[in-house]
Amino acid sequence: MDWQAFVLSLRLATVTTAILLAVAVPLAALIVLGRGRWLAALEALATLPMVLPPTVLGFFLLVLLGPRTAFGRGIAALLGHPLAFSFDGLVVGSVIYSLPFAVQPLVAGFASVDTALVDAARLLGAGPVRLVSSILLPLARRSLLAAIVLSFLHTIGEFGVVLMLGGDIPGATRTLSIVLYNQVENFDYAAADRTAAILLALSVLSLAVIYSQAHSRVSGRGGRDA
Amino acid sequence: MRAPKRLFPTLFGFLLVAPLCAQTPLRVAAAADLEPVLPPILAQFQRASGIHAEATYQASAMLTAQIENGAPFDLFLSADLSFPKRLISDGLADAAGSADSTTPILYARGTLVLWERRDSRLPPPSLDLLRDPRLKRLAIANPDRAPYGRAAVAALQSLKLYDALKPRLVTAENISQAAQFVDSANADAGLISLTSALTPRLVADGSYFIIPRSLYPPIEQGAVIVSNTRQRAAAHKLLDFLLSPPIQDQLANSGLTPVR
Repeated sequence: MDWQAFVLSLRLATVTTAILLAVAVPLAALIVLGRGRWLAALEALATLPMVLPPTVLGFFLLVLLGPRTAFGRGIAALLGHPLAFSFDGLVVGSVIYSLPFAVQPLVAGFASVDTALVDAARLLGAGPVRLVSSILLPLARRSLLAAIVLSFLHTIGEFGVVLMLGGDIPGATRTLSIVLYNQVENFDYAAADRTAAILLALSVLSLAVIYSQAHSRVSGRGGRDA
Repeated sequence: MRAPKRLFPTLFGFLLVAPLCAQTPLRVAAAADLEPVLPPILAQFQRASGIHAEATYQASAMLTAQIENGAPFDLFLSADLSFPKRLISDGLADAAGSADSTTPILYARGTLVLWERRDSRLPPPSLDLLRDPRLKRLAIANPDRAPYGRAAVAALQSLKLYDALKPRLVTAENISQAAQFVDSANADAGLISLTSALTPRLVADGSYFIIPRSLYPPIEQGAVIVSNTRQRAAAHKLLDFLLSPPIQDQLANSGLTPVR
């Protein structure tokens, strides 16, 4: 069992989820609370990574973030190394790849909050930050949870982008899904079975933990209210 | 707007029915180094024989796994001999019709080159480039499943550079992706196939150095016929076509060494 890859996958998923939350909450709030036609374009743009095949997305990133573009050279100067074939590169790829899985649940959740509450809070002088932190996020808890779970698991299972952008470097870009793929490709089906079992167990376990906490929180709150 | 209303069901119906009418093409599983070489040859083959052949390009190991799991290929053109031999010993492929039906049919030999972009800030490709400390990333194909990757590792080992370069190797899925890593300038140089290096794109972007053949075991590319093919005669015809003198000459121009 490749524990290095196991830890790497967990680290990648954690970092990606944290960044995605910081990006997706304001983005979803803007889409729901804002006005104007460009918001539709923004939402479409945030959903776009779902349409592109991951390997194609990975290729675009490889070229876009590579040393042949001014953007890529800027990043390389900033980090001291090109983004491709590095953990940082995978984080950038994963954030883009999983963006719709963080934004979509949040948009749906925020949109289902009663507009009367939002209007009332606005009348009482709440700014956008207060609106999100005191009204939207608490009332759309399950959507927030869904966004976290989906981003995390989508990143754990991410394969195409990593395949194109990673270069299979142990400890830096060789994630669990790449290890599994390598084992299958090298005809080592017994090892592949073990890796797949761990990937499945990890996913079921994290889902169970997250959902059980959600249920206890919801029922605890219910008790207090009654 | 009445026309589109009828247009879409018609189109949908056509797409459902069309595959049933189409004739099954000859399906070729081809090693990734053949991707720049094979398409014109298959077009010539169709003109000469009337048989339409379609190729799928992947690393040889991947194609082997697909054939082992029942992929509907008729002919397998590997980039080495070990994968076709493996299929023969598993009873999934054969070389029936040739002198020895248990040995894959050799159709070409591959050449390993070191390729670099022309606008690189490093010196032009040579064995010295491999020793250059400024070479931060060297792309190779996965040595476990791509014969060119295996040859690249063997060459680096012969040069006693493998241990020093190991942390700087980036491993690509197959030889085409290794070329792509370098052409997009994400890797400084790459050990790729001469067939890739001779494509118009890479000829325009960079230059190559032929790795001395003494440094790695020969890349002997073998073909086998997938045993449960329904188009054995057509597969044989394509194989004979591939081994015919004009096509062998054509292989030589596109980076493979002829065997006849």
